[in-house]
Amino acid sequence: MEAETNEVLDDFAQETKQPPASKEKKKKSGMKRRETIFLICILALPVLNWLVFWLYVNLSSFVLAFQDNMGNWSLVNFTLFWHQLTSPYGETIGMGILNTLKYFSVNLLVIFPLTLLISYFIYKKLAGYAAFRVIFFLPAIISGIVLVSVYSNMISPSGPIGSLLEKMGITVPEEGFLNNPSTATPAILIYCVWTGFSTNMIIIGSAMSRIPVEVLESARLDGCTAFKELVYLILPLIWSSISTWVIFLFTGIFNAGGPILLFHPDGGFNTMTLSFWIYQQVYGGGTYGGTGNYGLVSCTGLIFTCIGVPLILFIRWLIEKVPTVEY
Amino acid sequence: MRILHRKPVEAAILYQRSKGEKVLYAIVFIIFLAYAVSLLFPLFWLLVNSLQDRTIYELNQMYGEGFAFPTSLHWENYSYAFTQLSYNGANIFMMFFNSIWYTLACVLGGVLMSAFTGYALAKYRFKARGLMYGAIIFTMTVPTVGTTGAMFNLVYNVLHLYDSPLYVILKHLCGTGLNFLVMYGFFKNVSWSYAEAAFMDGAGHARVFFSIMLPMALPATVTLCILSGISAWNEYMDVLMYLPSFPTIASGMYGVSRTLPREGNSPAYFAALVISMIPVLVVFSCFSNVIMKNFAVGGLKG
Repeated sequence: MEAETNEVLDDFAQETKQPPASKEKKKKSGMKRRETIFLICILALPVLNWLVFWLYVNLSSFVLAFQDNMGNWSLVNFTLFWHQLTSPYGETIGMGILNTLKYFSVNLLVIFPLTLLISYFIYKKLAGYAAFRVIFFLPAIISGIVLVSVYSNMISPSGPIGSLLEKMGITVPEEGFLNNPSTATPAILIYCVWTGFSTNMIIIGSAMSRIPVEVLESARLDGCTAFKELVYLILPLIWSSISTWVIFLFTGIFNAGGPILLFHPDGGFNTMTLSFWIYQQVYGGGTYGGTGNYGLVSCTGLIFTCIGVPLILFIRWLIEKVPTVEY
Repeated sequence: MRILHRKPVEAAILYQRSKGEKVLYAIVFIIFLAYAVSLLFPLFWLLVNSLQDRTIYELNQMYGEGFAFPTSLHWENYSYAFTQLSYNGANIFMMFFNSIWYTLACVLGGVLMSAFTGYALAKYRFKARGLMYGAIIFTMTVPTVGTTGAMFNLVYNVLHLYDSPLYVILKHLCGTGLNFLVMYGFFKNVSWSYAEAAFMDGAGHARVFFSIMLPMALPATVTLCILSGISAWNEYMDVLMYLPSFPTIASGMYGVSRTLPREGNSPAYFAALVISMIPVLVVFSCFSNVIMKNFAVGGLKG
């Protein structure tokens, strides 16, 4: 009992020796230290991953652009790039860029507005909207290989759509749309539109569902039409989601393309895109083999990144000009 | 105590339509219906032809018979897909096994790391916060092209992770991208008072995150897990490039698509495609409501 009393008194004496401000400071620094340790623990892996798989890869790609295959400093890749760009023969970068821009244009001018309209009518609870929403999302959950296989069979001359088109008097190329150089890319573009609404429809639909109902209700009471409601109310209110989407769209401008590997592993029939050309240079398509010319690939990437960066900065600047509505 | 959740009463006026609007909605309904049929019919066609006799299917193709029901159901196509189909030495069960671990590695790594970065950047003020947020947004918005060669060089020559499952684990410990945006947006809107109350009760930072904040983010986390899982399950390019000895169901089907139809056994290939779709369709039918309701992405500022 006496020992316990002494212990308490000692503690009290020790506590009274320390000024309260210093004790508070120590407590705070202990808390700060624990916070720092926690942050280091949870951020270490993602930061390391970013340093290795993004920063190192990009820096290494930059260096490779200025090296030949032996690792010597050289501008040979830029000369090779120019030859590839201007060559009239084969499945080259020139054709790849042209097709890539076609895919990007379809994304921006067809898929983007159609997705907004689909999301709007689903949000407005068109008859059967719940079923439509689930069915329209199917391309996001079904594997590309399944979709490409059924699509290829559907539009082949002996497939249901091919047969139907022939019965309607529309000429189907004997070798099929996908095996004809003038129709293969348009056929893949149609595939991209067919399967292109799914995930963005959910993101935009989700943004629309968060709009305060009172705003739309009062607009309706004031005689606002469906068109005005969409253009002057809904689009500004979901601008943050739309702007994110537009930025992603422009960020992927030079990576735009369809599943060329699944349609034509050699990029034949004028279906080459820039990203598929890069894939072919590095890996090739199994039996087709890649050239392994990482320098040329990196050089091409560097040139298009240099074109893309100012473009995306301009788009971001334009987007930030539009005032966002907080609600 | 029972908590009553009352659905918000949405104003009926929002769904009242003028005569002109009714016509517009009728036209849109027809277009939607046609699009829905265009998505469902090919799957039905696939199912029907997976039960077709291989000779009859080839004859139908030869004579331009676009669509024909099988006279009898040929389940042996499914039996062939289960027992004889293989790609790179892996049968369909092995492909499923590879798909399962590949999907788990992608989902667990990706979603957990995004939750970590999203939470840290949304809820803590530290010196490198601005730099890290800027770097993530920069990574997402800078159109990097042609890094594939450098990436292959890194995986093959530097890290020696080519054709190794460790590649999948390390590559997907990534806290950026769309997953980050969703988690960051979620944690940004969660009140910090829950954490403060827990700190007062003596809880540590890890305890607050794992016991309070992460369970609160469950709807967003589950949605991300399902979407990332479906995407990983259907991923073929990454597997073909870096894991050729571990064909998943998606990359395996790609390999099979190059051989089986050319050998005149398309129905067996279609049967394999139907089998490959079943897991994702089951998951989607169980969680479709969760996906539809909980997917929200904020803006890209910074």
